[in-house]
Amino acid sequence: MSPTDSQLGLILTLAWRDFGHERIMSACFVLSLSAVLLPLLVLFGLKFGIVSTLTSPLKEDPRYRQIQPAGSGRFGPEWFEAMAQRSDVAFIVPRTRAIAGTMRLRGPEGNAGRIISVELIPSGPGDPVLDGLSEPDGLERVVLSLDAADKLGAEAGSRIEGIVSRTWSGKQQTELLPLQVIGVASAGAFARDGMFVSGELLMAVEDFLDGRAVPAFGWEGTADQGTPRQFSGFRLYARELEDVAGLRTGLMEQGIDVRTRLADIELVQGLDRNLSIVFWIIAIVAASGYGLSFGSSVWANIDRKRREFSVLRLTGFRSRGIVWFPIVQAMMTAVLGWVLAAVAFFAVQAGLNSLFAENIGGDQAVCRLLPVHLVIALVLTLLAATVAAALGGVRLARLEPSLALREG
Amino acid sequence: MVKSYAAGGAEFRLTIPRLDIERGSKLAFVGESGSGKSTLLELLAMILRPSASGTFVFRPRASGESHDIAAAWQSADPDSMAALRSRHIGYVLQYGGLLPYLTVRENIVLSRQLLHLPQADSAEHWAERLKITAQLGKRPAELSVGQRQRVAIARALAHDPTVLIADEPTAAVDPLNAERIMEVMIGLVEETGVTLIVASHAHSLMRRAGLRMINHRIDAEGGTLLHIKVSDVAD
Repeated sequence: MSPTDSQLGLILTLAWRDFGHERIMSACFVLSLSAVLLPLLVLFGLKFGIVSTLTSPLKEDPRYRQIQPAGSGRFGPEWFEAMAQRSDVAFIVPRTRAIAGTMRLRGPEGNAGRIISVELIPSGPGDPVLDGLSEPDGLERVVLSLDAADKLGAEAGSRIEGIVSRTWSGKQQTELLPLQVIGVASAGAFARDGMFVSGELLMAVEDFLDGRAVPAFGWEGTADQGTPRQFSGFRLYARELEDVAGLRTGLMEQGIDVRTRLADIELVQGLDRNLSIVFWIIAIVAASGYGLSFGSSVWANIDRKRREFSVLRLTGFRSRGIVWFPIVQAMMTAVLGWVLAAVAFFAVQAGLNSLFAENIGGDQAVCRLLPVHLVIALVLTLLAATVAAALGGVRLARLEPSLALREG
Repeated sequence: MVKSYAAGGAEFRLTIPRLDIERGSKLAFVGESGSGKSTLLELLAMILRPSASGTFVFRPRASGESHDIAAAWQSADPDSMAALRSRHIGYVLQYGGLLPYLTVRENIVLSRQLLHLPQADSAEHWAERLKITAQLGKRPAELSVGQRQRVAIARALAHDPTVLIADEPTAAVDPLNAERIMEVMIGLVEETGVTLIVASHAHSLMRRAGLRMINHRIDAEGGTLLHIKVSDVAD
């Protein structure tokens, strides 16, 4: 250890001893700091709790992140590839024309008489609405919407039959597709009769209806033209709520009219923003007020103790080291004040949350802080206290030592 | 060397045309209060910056090197002076100047701690010599003024300095106590061979203690300007 370090170490010890020696005054500093910090923590906790409560349904429901085309267009494979590359896109699959987007289904054995018509929903790996289910793939494996499964009396594992018809070469042609239900989507995933299918199956159905051949099923028809397939729509989900606005703008600039739930998102985001502004105004006013009062107490304290500081200098401590004395004490005040405020915060938080428990459901909380918020509060408190004390330290460094020595 | 300063609306000027202090000498600056004794001591302790300075050399050991203090002030090198102070100077203040948050024992060994000297039973040794052994565990606030001055002397000597500077060390205690404290201090000074520089207004006490006395001369000039001259050439 270099001599400078050890001098600093001794200064820290002395600062701590003085802090403990004047414990009543130190306690006053600590209490007044937590008296300012506690309401700020509660206020921020309320803001964070309320905004989280409002945001969490939006975050949990992927439909808020969905971007739907308003009309139909023409989108080629390159376009889908480019979109899938974007970091703000969580999921995108092509959608066929609406006319090719339906299929009749016959229920499983035992309920085979029941036939319903369902909308085909293109799906694939990472489909946000099929959270936790295995995704449809191949030509057989499908996921039913809850309504469709109910009407058909089907469940995961059921075997059902798809029925598709076309008029081809002047004849009515009906084909049956054996399908396996690998899952039933939650009620929120799709509110009507629907079936989540792989892109492969969807394209096969579209080809069939358009009179083209589908070799996979052995259906005859006109041969593949070799030109890249164009799709009329897409299923697109943004990665985060915050990405919706940007994606929407990007698509609009490409001339693609889209529908989003942006209004709902912006309502909550606007509330968050406004509450944040209110919070920071209060925080800055309170913190600067406290900073001034803390700084002036440090200043007055240095005046009071300048004889002791002069003695330290006379003993051979460097003024550079002595400046740390008030700063270290300010840091101790900051840490202890923060601990006190944090403990009190948890009590207030528990009270507030039980008070409003009936108004908001389940695991939501009206007042809540993350550990990182408390850490940030500590860092800011330390910073403010250090700056306030450093101003006093500057005074200390300029103190003419000899004038202080002579007083009684 | 000259130090000018203003206090209470009046300007003071302390002029030291020449002052040599020999190692091992015992010196007393005697003069009434306000005559600049403390200022002089603080200049000697390298804690107060002179307004103007000719030669100012500190040579703590006969075989050691000379430190140019005037140059250190010139080049704003407070660290080198802080180091010299912690190593070579013990300072006794009129009112003890003990740190209220440390015990007597901790106060005494503070300067040793700063120098990384072994503390062993240094506090006990000095406490015994100054008859304050019973006070070692107490805080300064629990001591009488006389006891505090004894602690201050112990602290000033504990790190084996070469110079002991005492500013009115007995002014705050009653005459009987003052006599005893001076006696103990002089005894320790003679034992250790440390150079002693005292400032005091108590002529007779200093004379009885056997110190060589240097008087201050105060010249009034232009009403508010005080000239205080210290001039002595030691043999």
